[in-house]
Amino acid sequence: MSALIAARLHERRRSLLSWGLPIGLWSAFVVAIYPTVEDALSKAIASYPEALKQAFGIAELNSVEQYLNAEMLSLIVPLAVGYLAVRSIAAGLSGAAESGRLDVLLSAPISRSRLVASGFAATAVELAAVLAVGLALTALGSLLAGSGLSFTKALAGFANVWPLALLAAGFGVVVTGWSLRTSVVTGSIAGVLVAMYVADLIGRLDTDLDWVRYGSVFRYYGRAIDEGIDPLTFLGVTAVAVACAALGALLFERRDLAA
Amino acid sequence: MAAIETRGLTKFYGAARGIEDVTMTVEPGEVFGFLGPNGAGKTTTIRTLLDLLHPTRGSARVFGLDSRRDSVAIRARLGNLPGDFGYGKGATGREALALLGRLRGVADLGRAEQLAERFRAELERPLGQLSRGNRQKVGLILAVFHRPELLIVDEPTSGLDPLMQEEFLALVREERERGCAVFLSSHELDEVERVCDRVGIIRSGRLIAVERVGELLGRAQRRVSVEFAEPVDPAELSRLPGVADLSAEDGRVRFHFGGEPNALLAALAAHRVAEIEIAHPTLEEIFLTYYEERREG
Repeated sequence: MSALIAARLHERRRSLLSWGLPIGLWSAFVVAIYPTVEDALSKAIASYPEALKQAFGIAELNSVEQYLNAEMLSLIVPLAVGYLAVRSIAAGLSGAAESGRLDVLLSAPISRSRLVASGFAATAVELAAVLAVGLALTALGSLLAGSGLSFTKALAGFANVWPLALLAAGFGVVVTGWSLRTSVVTGSIAGVLVAMYVADLIGRLDTDLDWVRYGSVFRYYGRAIDEGIDPLTFLGVTAVAVACAALGALLFERRDLAA
Repeated sequence: MAAIETRGLTKFYGAARGIEDVTMTVEPGEVFGFLGPNGAGKTTTIRTLLDLLHPTRGSARVFGLDSRRDSVAIRARLGNLPGDFGYGKGATGREALALLGRLRGVADLGRAEQLAERFRAELERPLGQLSRGNRQKVGLILAVFHRPELLIVDEPTSGLDPLMQEEFLALVREERERGCAVFLSSHELDEVERVCDRVGIIRSGRLIAVERVGELLGRAQRRVSVEFAEPVDPAELSRLPGVADLSAEDGRVRFHFGGEPNALLAALAAHRVAEIEIAHPTLEEIFLTYYEERREG
């Protein structure tokens, strides 16, 4: 299985540049400009309605970490890396089926479930690498601009994205067990991620609808950059992601792989 | 023990029939041609053998192992060249070979290098930049580099130039000599005729015949066209046993012939023949032969 993981990572090496670099540069820009916008930002935030601030998690923006969270880690990075996770899974399974690669790999003595497991594991490593690049560039931006970003807090913020994105990958494997069309896999999971974000937002805006947040992974995502990583939710979401991948592997094992 | 043994193998895609009641046996060291037009069920049969498709009913055994339950053990012993070999655009043949080598536990890739040289395969270029024929060469190397006991090839020469087609057929003969069973799916009668020991003919999902190649061709009608250097009464030829669909025009007589060759030669030798052409039956003509026999039977 290590051979398959290594091969997948080799093929996906460009995602460090195509995903890690833009996320990192954007985040670096955000932390770099913080010292110049800090005062204006505080005044602006003070004038926002309370419900709006609560909904978008911007009750306070009096530190560079909170600013990074509001600008990047509360929405853009989790959605972007979540989408990358689905694309990565889709490329390894449905994309491989469409290109004929799956036929070649499954001519070798490996089971389908191992193939799925290796793809999921490779995606997990790829996501961690992309987030690490993002974190490194963000820290570099802060260092160059003298923004005073706490590396430990930033590490918690970026690391907390990983289980959420992994869950998206797990959902992707489940859908792959049903459809081998890449557009169906990526489209449906991207839609699920956005729907989960919207459900979480609605629940936060209207306390009567708080229950809808229970179906959203964003409810458990939290604000790790401020509050640190909650090990329970981190491990819980990761466990659900692995369970989804296992279910997807079972479905994939049972399905036909038509030409 | 048979290399391949299917019993009533059937695959439906929903209500649509892929294959139905395919029963056949392929022995070790045998080259078995699987002949049929496009859409006949050749690829469905292969994908079911490889456990890429699950049979609706019936069974397939490879080396005595169940194609579903023991698929991983089976695939350790076979090589497969899909009809339209693909591996993604970015990877090179060498990268694919390195991965397949590791998955198969083959450390020495010397045979792959020899094959690459023999087929002039470009292992260093991304597969997405290669023509279909050149991709097919890489696929062929991946299918045989580990010296499989069973080689399954689906339309293997499509895209290959004539020289490489010859080389491929030579490789198939070498594999047979090595003891490898070869399951060669094709719609090219000529290709099957040249390397196969036996042929299974599939049409509309059903295996309609399994025969030795010589018997198959011997029973099929040839297309004969004769130009005489003197006036000849066509009725003289039409009375010959095995002659059908005879037509005559401007001194040239055309007909289908499925009888005794010596009788035909004797009949022709009684006249001055300016030109003669005896064409191999087409796949369609072979099918017609079988349908005629079934109707008569």
